[in-house]
Amino acid sequence: MVIEGKHLSKITADVSTVAKPRMNFDYTDEQEAFRREIREWYEENLPDGWIEGDRDLPDDEDEREQFLREWQRKLHEGGWAAIHWPEEYGGRDASLMQQLIYQQEKARVNPPPERSEIGVDLVGPAIEGFGTEEQKERYLPKILSGEELWCIGYSEPDVGSDLASLQCKATDEGDHFRINGQKIWTTHAHKADWCYMFTRTDDSGPKHHGITALIVDMDQEGVTNERIRQITDEREFNQVYFDDATTPKENVLNEVDEGWEVAMRQLSFERISLSQSLDLERRFDELVEFCKNETRGGTPLVEDPHVREKLAEFDTRIQAAKLTYFRNVSKQMNGDLGAEASFGKLYDSEIAADLHRFRVNLGGPKAALWGDDSPNGAAKDSLANISIRIGGGTSDIQRNIIGERVLGLPKGDQE
Amino acid sequence: MDFTLSDEQTQMQESVRDYLESEGGIELARRQMDGEDVVGEVWDGLAEMDYPALSVPLEYGGLGDDLLYLSLLFEEAGRVALPGPLPETLGFTVPLLAELGTDDQKEEFLPAIADGDLRASVALYDDATESLPEAIRMEAEPTDDGYRLDGTKTLVPYAESVDRVVVPARTRQDTGYGGITLFFVDPAVAETERLDTLDKTRPLYELTFDAVEISGARLGPVDGGGDALKRAIDRLNVSMCAMLVGGADEAVDRSVEYGKQREQFDKPIGQFQAVKHRIADMWLDAEAARSLTYYAAWAIANDEDDARQAVSRATWYCTERCGELFEDDIFNHGATGYTWDHDGHIFLKQAKTWANLLGSPTEHRRRIADIRL
Repeated sequence: MVIEGKHLSKITADVSTVAKPRMNFDYTDEQEAFRREIREWYEENLPDGWIEGDRDLPDDEDEREQFLREWQRKLHEGGWAAIHWPEEYGGRDASLMQQLIYQQEKARVNPPPERSEIGVDLVGPAIEGFGTEEQKERYLPKILSGEELWCIGYSEPDVGSDLASLQCKATDEGDHFRINGQKIWTTHAHKADWCYMFTRTDDSGPKHHGITALIVDMDQEGVTNERIRQITDEREFNQVYFDDATTPKENVLNEVDEGWEVAMRQLSFERISLSQSLDLERRFDELVEFCKNETRGGTPLVEDPHVREKLAEFDTRIQAAKLTYFRNVSKQMNGDLGAEASFGKLYDSEIAADLHRFRVNLGGPKAALWGDDSPNGAAKDSLANISIRIGGGTSDIQRNIIGERVLGLPKGDQE
Repeated sequence: MDFTLSDEQTQMQESVRDYLESEGGIELARRQMDGEDVVGEVWDGLAEMDYPALSVPLEYGGLGDDLLYLSLLFEEAGRVALPGPLPETLGFTVPLLAELGTDDQKEEFLPAIADGDLRASVALYDDATESLPEAIRMEAEPTDDGYRLDGTKTLVPYAESVDRVVVPARTRQDTGYGGITLFFVDPAVAETERLDTLDKTRPLYELTFDAVEISGARLGPVDGGGDALKRAIDRLNVSMCAMLVGGADEAVDRSVEYGKQREQFDKPIGQFQAVKHRIADMWLDAEAARSLTYYAAWAIANDEDDARQAVSRATWYCTERCGELFEDDIFNHGATGYTWDHDGHIFLKQAKTWANLLGSPTEHRRRIADIRL
């Protein structure tokens, strides 16, 4: 599943540095107690059989929604919906180290997807960073509780990586804006209550100016959507049409015409960057199990020298991803992390691409099958990973970011 | 959990970098490559800075630092492809002496190494077509007061620039790391012949022992040196990885600088995405290599359960991926990069040499698989 803007840098510095011990991979008793708390909560609250590997979601869409809503409710009640958020909005004010431990434990059990993920990861931080007190009080608690679902109006049919050229128009009509235009690849628009979107309010100046971030009610006549069928046969994306839709003035985030700053800066809620590497580690363990159990010509896959060497290669790359992630998180905790945080999205998604292709091929001739008959579910994972490489700043854009912001190479004509 | 360097470590690294730059940086490697022997000069300078004392235990006049600390020194050495048996002496020999040496041996050799008065190397191979440890074949026969070494060791680094060489030999018929006894030998007792090497900054030699009788040179237990040797080879691998990480960092910097300066079609070539993206990918591999190497060094220093896996991960990744990275750096420099006068090939040849010297990438991946699967 792709989420617009998911991997935009969410890095903030932890300034609370204390006397630094030497390099270590130990956790304090207090940190281990926090880990146990999460584990115990998962054991008590995950659906039956989930930890043992029975992780199928209901096929029926309504049932699936019900299932996910129920899971979000449990998370919220347990205080796990967004531990890095302030307590006043339903979070736990978790430290960076607690966030890391939470990520580790989450990767270990691979819980159901969080229905509020877009709101928690992207909308919440923007509202917290740029919103008024009224906006924060109005919207933030309901993001966490899952009572209100959000989508993000970012891409347009002609606007992908080059966000600043967006066209969807918002016209100032006194106490409200009138919105006309189109958004696309909008994840969850078909069920969202609110849209956090970027619109063009002034096209007379440079294209980075005159963009306004708006909060728009999806439940109105001027908003219609059409679901888009993806290569995985899912329909999470939408085209959204704004046809004389309106939103009151108090729903502007930041100043009018100053939305570019909002789009570029994902600040606040001091939080660690996320990393696919922790999930990849679990995927790798699952793949090793698969290779031990599957046989070809009577011999377990795991005894095939080629398979063994490939597995060792993945083992190393995943450890390199994880260790670099740990190095960056540590730098962040020491208040010393810069653009090098952009390592993970690109590096991890390339491992994932290779890993899933390899998994497909290990399926043998049966890899031609889909759904429950697809060996190891690899075909769908392999397809879905393509979207990880496109969404939230494509791999090409990631390489530009590394080239320019980390290494200081000259910007291209396109910027 | 804290996977960053301490201020002290960072400062040490910076001071090594400044020092090596002030001594001429990569020019030292170039002089070595062009036929001069700069090892003595390099070593005297390092000794003045106390660097050879870094891993020597405190009670023998050293600074008592671990392999992680040492790796930071190697990283800076690698940045300028520093000639000299630094990994062999500090990464390989010192911990081996500290572990296996008698009090007399430690007293004799460790302070001398710390003071910069003794350099050491290692003579592993009897057969350059075999992998380790099978390539260790020389038999050592007991004599009245010692052993008789008979045979030719090959691929011995810096044999003519060192005072001692660690020579493993079989004292019992066995395979793998079994039946191996280690000797700490003055290479002057052997006949040395320099080999023509791919990497001309790090000369390799053949060492012929013509039924040479040695006494008092045994290091560690009879027949039982294999385990310590295995671990010493792991440390040597990590030392080389650290040098490659330094080289990789330098190669990325060089590509970046060239990408900013060199103009074609009226633009700096680093503006073109084909070039920019290649350099970004080089950076990814350099960062990954560094993470794996630091972890391997830390895991060995702290005797972690996954130390051997960590070493093999770092080794295949650094030799194979940094090797490709060095090729990319040459490529980024175009025809200029392909010239002898350009420094790119110095790093590439080092990586290619090391990629097979202490276990090929495939062998290391197999080792990971054997432990993990």
